[in-house]
Amino acid sequence: MLKKILLVFVLGIPGVAVLAELPQDKLGAVETLPAEYPDSWVFVHDVSFMHMSSGKYILMDIAGETAKDFYKGMVNSSYISFFASAHSKPEFYVGENFYSRGHRGERTDVITIYDKRTLSPIDEVIITDGKRAEMLPSKYTMRLIADDRFLLFYKFSPATAIGVMDTDKRKIVNTIPLPTCAGIYPTGRRGFSSLCSDGSMVSYQLDSQGQVTGSERVAKFFNVDADALFEKPAIMNNIAYFPTFTGNIQELDLSAAVAVPGDKWPLVTGGDQQANWRPGGAWPAATANEAIYVLMHKDGYEGSHKEPGSEIWVYEVQDKKRISRIVLQSPAIAFDITRGDKPKIIATNIEMGLEIYDAITGSQIRTLDDFYRAGPLLVYASP
Amino acid sequence: MKWLDTFTERISRDVAKTSSRRGFLGNLGRLIVGGSLLPLLPVARAADSPPLTLPAEGEDPGDPATCEYWRNCAVDGFLCSCCGGSVTSCPPGTEMSPITWIGTCTNPGDGKDYIISYNDCCAKESCGNCFCNRNEADRPTYRPHTSNDYNWCLGTKSAAYHCTVNIILGVAVK
Repeated sequence: MLKKILLVFVLGIPGVAVLAELPQDKLGAVETLPAEYPDSWVFVHDVSFMHMSSGKYILMDIAGETAKDFYKGMVNSSYISFFASAHSKPEFYVGENFYSRGHRGERTDVITIYDKRTLSPIDEVIITDGKRAEMLPSKYTMRLIADDRFLLFYKFSPATAIGVMDTDKRKIVNTIPLPTCAGIYPTGRRGFSSLCSDGSMVSYQLDSQGQVTGSERVAKFFNVDADALFEKPAIMNNIAYFPTFTGNIQELDLSAAVAVPGDKWPLVTGGDQQANWRPGGAWPAATANEAIYVLMHKDGYEGSHKEPGSEIWVYEVQDKKRISRIVLQSPAIAFDITRGDKPKIIATNIEMGLEIYDAITGSQIRTLDDFYRAGPLLVYASP
Repeated sequence: MKWLDTFTERISRDVAKTSSRRGFLGNLGRLIVGGSLLPLLPVARAADSPPLTLPAEGEDPGDPATCEYWRNCAVDGFLCSCCGGSVTSCPPGTEMSPITWIGTCTNPGDGKDYIISYNDCCAKESCGNCFCNRNEADRPTYRPHTSNDYNWCLGTKSAAYHCTVNIILGVAVK
């Protein structure tokens, strides 16, 4: 048998024309990416709930047509990590935990700094007290402020606090205790606000070294029991639009040093009230084209706030009116919308797939049924 | 671990089951604790209540290994009864977290509301069996002690999450 194989190599395959030999390939080639990603690129987070030390973020070009086209690269992550991407420098950040023996041993909490061009870690900053919060992923548990100078991240022990990392110095420069509050909503020139357990809020401003220069409590403005705010708003033009459990939007102006509660208005009116439509899912809201998009499910009830949504409703915020509703192919868990002139909705559905829609027309463009044997959760558009 | 439960087909079916139980679930899970209290304060409240007589056999109806079991009214995770433990005990080799979130569930056996402490069993990765997600009176992460979105493996040697037990702390004070 071996002799026959050797003969084929030596003599060629009978009946096949003799072609020019292929040149020798270069060994060790590794692809690189642009420092600035196109608008159509997104990161999709697989939290890996069954194997939490093995999460990942898959970088995808949703302008592709096949599963192969979509996949641009991947980075690993560990223990329900946080994610934030800079735009003034070619970096993104993953807040994660490791144990020296896999799931046990010495715990190390770290902010891992990645180069967008190589998808390789270029540095890391250790969170020495090991109190990075582990929780359902949110885009407001780690956030860049002040033109990407400071990376803020949420800590939970269960005392609540915000860590401040200087991204230029790559050092943690401050930890700000919170009065039982959570969330990082960029506020004013160099600050943030957090929602608090009694329905109030706190706002902080920082100096150029990341130290607190002022803080102020925003008086209670919502009822946590009767109509809680989702801690996952859509933010547009420094106005945060918080969906509420029973189907309202609470506006919050974040443009000045202290957050200012604004109008509260209903998402559900008229005949839709009878079907009891409500916001829900793991990520209920996003913005595009000067409108807000909200993931909705019908037959809502106390405790339905994590139900997948069968539709996305679109609202014009000036008149506070719904301008369209997009019926999804499969109920979605979460979604985001790409930036640019032709925004696209990327929804993660209950079938563990991705659905892509034109955010302007609402028409479905494509479905990715098999998400690479992973479980897509949050989508980070235009990172 | 306390997370949204819609990532697998099995979990999708759980959502459908939950939807069909709404009429029943609507009567469960009314929390009594105030918004600014720390997580352990409900424990102190329970201690102030009259001495607790635990339900006798037959007064604690249902199968703890099912999501429908009454104590599971605010649970979000794997049920330890399906992971080598029980409704009140952790599986071998795990460590019970002393810090918890709290639910208040109505026992259909005696009609009373009980304060339930959802203690996570930690130091091993996910059990993977009997996932249950019920969010009655669950609130966002800015009110931690009633939020099941956190990993409550706190104060343990390893914060790896395995499963959750449901421990009666006392009868809810009206």
